[in-house]
Amino acid sequence: MSLLWKLLRQHISIPQFAGFFLANLVGMVIILLGTQFYTDVQAIYDSEDSFMKADYLIINKKIGAITMLTGKSVAFSGEELAEVEGQPFVEAVGFFTPSAFNVRAAFEMQGIANMSTDMFFESVPDRFVDVASDRWHYEPGSSDLPIILPKNYLDLYNFGYASSRGMPKLSEGIVGAVTLHITVQGNGKSADFNGRIVGFSSRLNTILVPESFMKWANGEYVSKAVEPTRLIVKVGNPTDQRIAKYLTDKGYETDTSKLDASKTTYMLRMVVGIVMAVGLVICVLAFYILMLSIYLLVEKNSYKLENLLIIGYSPCRVSLPYQLLTVFLNVFVLLMAYGILLLLRSIYLSMLMGFFPHVTLPSLLPSAIVGIALLLVVSIINICVVKNKVMSIWNRKD
Amino acid sequence: MNTIQLQQTLPAVFSERTNLQSDVWLQDVRLEKGKVYLVEANSGTGKSSLCSFVYGYRKDYIGSILFDGENIRSFSVKRWTDIRQEHLSLLWQELRLFPELTAMENVRIKNNLTDYQERQQIDYWFDCLGIADKKDSLIGRMSFGQQQRVAMIRALCQPFDFIFIDEPISHLDDTNSQIMGDILMDEVRRQGAGIITTSIGKHLPLQYDQVLKL
Repeated sequence: MSLLWKLLRQHISIPQFAGFFLANLVGMVIILLGTQFYTDVQAIYDSEDSFMKADYLIINKKIGAITMLTGKSVAFSGEELAEVEGQPFVEAVGFFTPSAFNVRAAFEMQGIANMSTDMFFESVPDRFVDVASDRWHYEPGSSDLPIILPKNYLDLYNFGYASSRGMPKLSEGIVGAVTLHITVQGNGKSADFNGRIVGFSSRLNTILVPESFMKWANGEYVSKAVEPTRLIVKVGNPTDQRIAKYLTDKGYETDTSKLDASKTTYMLRMVVGIVMAVGLVICVLAFYILMLSIYLLVEKNSYKLENLLIIGYSPCRVSLPYQLLTVFLNVFVLLMAYGILLLLRSIYLSMLMGFFPHVTLPSLLPSAIVGIALLLVVSIINICVVKNKVMSIWNRKD
Repeated sequence: MNTIQLQQTLPAVFSERTNLQSDVWLQDVRLEKGKVYLVEANSGTGKSSLCSFVYGYRKDYIGSILFDGENIRSFSVKRWTDIRQEHLSLLWQELRLFPELTAMENVRIKNNLTDYQERQQIDYWFDCLGIADKKDSLIGRMSFGQQQRVAMIRALCQPFDFIFIDEPISHLDDTNSQIMGDILMDEVRRQGAGIITTSIGKHLPLQYDQVLKL
C-alpha cells in the first residue's frame, strides 16, 4: 500500500484540496448550524406551550352590543362548522365543548395556601392536545382527572394575589405536584374528583379536561344539550391572507397574537430553509471542486494507473487510495464542521438561555443525522466516480 | 493454463493487406506450456501488438485467441487481474517501469502484489545482472540497458504458465544477455512454464523448440 500510495500521491494538488476543504467546511457548517438552530428554536417555541401543537387557531364569534340585546346565539351551528371545515386553508376543525354542570375546585397546601373557587371546564378533541395519551386520559368511574390550566392563572396568583397577601410564589413544578379537590354538581347528582395538573398552557385561555371526561360528565350531570361556542382550527399556512379575510367576513374572532406566533414560526422555518439551501449550494460547489481535482489527479496519473493495472493490480485496489483520500477528507470536514457547530451553538445558546432559562435543550441528533447523511451521499458518489475513472483507463484500448 | 491458441488472428490495421506471409497471422497457432518459442519479426509486423492482444491489453484484432480453448474476448476484469497475477507474465518492450520509484521499489511493487519471490532471490538476481549497486537509484536515472534488467526481474516476480518477452536484450551486451537467458531459463524450468520471446535481430541465447516468422 505504501508503495502504491508513493506512486499515486504524485500530482496531488494541495491548493485544490485546501480549496475544497474550506468551501465544503463553510457549506457544511451552514447546513449543520441551520438544522441545529431550527431544532433549538423550535424547542423553545414548543416549551412555551407544550400542550398545543403549532399552527392552531381558536375561533369564536364576536360578542357585541347587538348580540347581547338580540340574544343571538354565539354558538356554532352544524352548517357553520361544515363551512369552516370546507375552507381551503383549514386542515382540521374541532369543537370546544363547555361543561354545563357546576364545578368547584379546592386547592390546599399545608400552611401555604388554602383556596376554593367556582370554575368551569372545556374540552377539545384529544388529537389537538399534545400530551402523552397515557397522561391525558380519563376512565369513566375513575376519580383521577388530568387538567391543563392556563398559565395566566398561575401568573395572576403569583404576581397579583400572592404579592399582595405576602404569600409564597409557586412554580409550575410545585403546582403540578398538588392535587385539586374537584366537586362536580348537576342534575341532582354530585361527585368528587382528584384533579391532577399535567401542565400549563399559555395559548389556551381555558381549563382543559380530556374529551372522554367531558362526554361522560355532560351526559351524567346535564339534561340539556351543550352547544359549542369556540372552534379549534388547524391551518396549513398561518400567514395565508385568506384566513384573516374569512374571519372578518364572517364576524369571527381569533387571538391575533397566536396568529403572529405561528407566523413567526413559519417565517423562521422559511429563513432557515433558505440559509440551508445556500449551505447546500456551497456544498455542491465544493463537491464539484473535489471532483474536478480528482479527475485532474487521475488524468495526470493515468499512465501510472495503467501500468499498475497492467502488472496485475485490480481496478478496485488501484482506486482505493483515491477513494480513501476523498472519504478521509469528507470525514475530516464533517468533524471540523461539527466542532465549529458546537462552538457557535454555545454562543447562541448562552444568548437564548438568557431569555428562556427553563427550556430543556434538544439533543444534537438532528444535525448529526443530517451531517452523516450528507457525508454518506457525497462519499458514495466520490467512490463511484473514482472507480469509474479507473475503469475508463482499464478500457481505453478497446 | 496449458495452451494458448491463435485462430486466424490478425491485427485490425492489417486487414487491408493482401500479400501477408506469416507463421502467426491468419494461421492456427498453438503455443504449449513448457516449450520455448521465438517469434522473429521485422519492424512493423505487429510483434508488440501480438503481446498486447494475448495480455488482454488491446482487443483491436480479428479472429480469436483462446486460453485452454476459451475465448479471451469474454474474460471479465477480475479474470484478467487474476491471469496477470498468476498465469501470464509480460516483459514489455517499453518496459513500463515507474520512473518515480527506485529499481528495487519497481520490483517490490509487483512482488508485494503476488508475494511470490523471496527477498534473497531478488537480491541474487540484482547481483547476477550487475545492478546490485543500482537498487536504490531512481529508474528515471538509469540507462535503458539497466532498466531492461530491472524489468526482467519484475517479470519473474510472479507465478506464470507463459512468459512473453518482447525484445528483452536490445540494449544488452552478449555477456549480460547470456546471464539474463540463464536466469530466465532457471525460473521457467522451475515453474514448468512456456516462453515466447520476440526479436527483430538479436535474440536471447536459448534452446528454442520452435521459431515462428511473423
